Amino acid sequence: MGTDGASTRSGSVNSMHRMIKLCHLDDLPEQNARGFDPSREGQDTVFVVRQGNHIYAYKDLCPHYGDTALPWRKDEYLDPWGGTIVCAAHGAHFEIATGLCIDGPCMGESLPKVPVQIMDNGDILVAIDEPHGGGESP
Amino acid sequence: MNIIGPDTLIFGVDDIDSCTQYLLDYGLESVGNGRFEALDGTGVEVKAKDDTSLPAPLETGSTLRKTIYGVADQATLDAIAEELKKDREVKQLDDGSIEAVDDMGFALGFQVTVRKTLNLPAETINAPGADNQRGLNVIGVEKEASPKPRSLSHVVYFVPDFAKAEAFYAERLGFITTDRFHGVGPFMRPAGTQDHHTVFFIQTPPHMQGIEHFTFHMGGPTEVVHAGTNMVNKGYQSFWGPGRHLLGSNWFWYFKSPFGCNVEYDADMDLHNDDWTARAIAPGADNSQAFLLQFREKWAPMGPPPAADQ
Repeated sequence: MGTDGASTRSGSVNSMHRMIKLCHLDDLPEQNARGFDPSREGQDTVFVVRQGNHIYAYKDLCPHYGDTALPWRKDEYLDPWGGTIVCAAHGAHFEIATGLCIDGPCMGESLPKVPVQIMDNGDILVAIDEPHGGGESP
Repeated sequence: MNIIGPDTLIFGVDDIDSCTQYLLDYGLESVGNGRFEALDGTGVEVKAKDDTSLPAPLETGSTLRKTIYGVADQATLDAIAEELKKDREVKQLDDGSIEAVDDMGFALGFQVTVRKTLNLPAETINAPGADNQRGLNVIGVEKEASPKPRSLSHVVYFVPDFAKAEAFYAERLGFITTDRFHGVGPFMRPAGTQDHHTVFFIQTPPHMQGIEHFTFHMGGPTEVVHAGTNMVNKGYQSFWGPGRHLLGSNWFWYFKSPFGCNVEYDADMDLHNDDWTARAIAPGADNSQAFLLQFREKWAPMGPPPAADQ
């Protein structure tokens, strides 16, 4: 599936962006999320959600205030059933696949997507220089 | 009306285990049946979202299902029941408390307060020109400490019409507005406390109605920062703070929570009586705090190690 991801995404990720490896696909349990600090800012700024063989990546910023990270504890990005992304500050719920807020203070707004690529060997890469680009992989 | 302040907040949540661990790590004591208490017996109750004993949820799905106020005595309780019965149902519950819904739709309870009188020292400081508070040879801070929340301080609601909320609490329950942010909402205290506020209303679109945060009082700013540091070290994520608010002067540190609202530590809030004239100021970052600090991992200024021949 890594091959599919890489081939699917390779055409849409701008080569000007710096791609940084976050982890390997096998490091992410299915139906789970994890935060990363690829720019070494001292706190997680990007998170990825795995649903089966799909990986979704977003900036860790709730659109409600625009500068608030989502989880109440590291990596706690999903509701207890893994069905939606949740911002713990005021309870906003977002669709995993689109980042669209479907309930809560910023209803109708979306999490900023981050271009993501799954390489042939299963490495997961994100583009960290483009805050509002977008993508899903595969 | 001699309402003292919030005794208990009751939540209906998705993830009871996480909420339970959160409140224990925050410093409340579990007393059974999903109830967690501060030192004075005020507290928070955690139930499953579909628990049939809970009042109906708001349409917005806010996890806060009921705010129970403590009042001075049975006469006050009777007076509140009589007042609210004029235009709404007032339920008499088996535990002697009463229950009604306010003009925004929030479920309220009233009971003769469970608050125990605390006899604890406040944080003390030494300063040039003043008598020393702490005394000679008394140490001000320890490396490790787990300060406990003392008392449920206040709750902040998102409301679609702050003027309607303010009118209900002022005219029907005798709350007093101590300060306000223009166009946002009032800070209010009930007549039975001198605390700057036990409730603050924030104007929002209707779909946001619910709880923004709740707060327990700590023994002083050092306890706020120590307790908050403990939360950071346990992996919880800061929302805002530490810092010191302008209106109320309370030190603050807010953390996100699995309740879908923020949870705050505060300390050293201003006290007021009826001589106070409410201020009204513009909302925004500049007026929300006197200063805002930021957590950083422990650090020390260090030079290189001494040379071997020194």
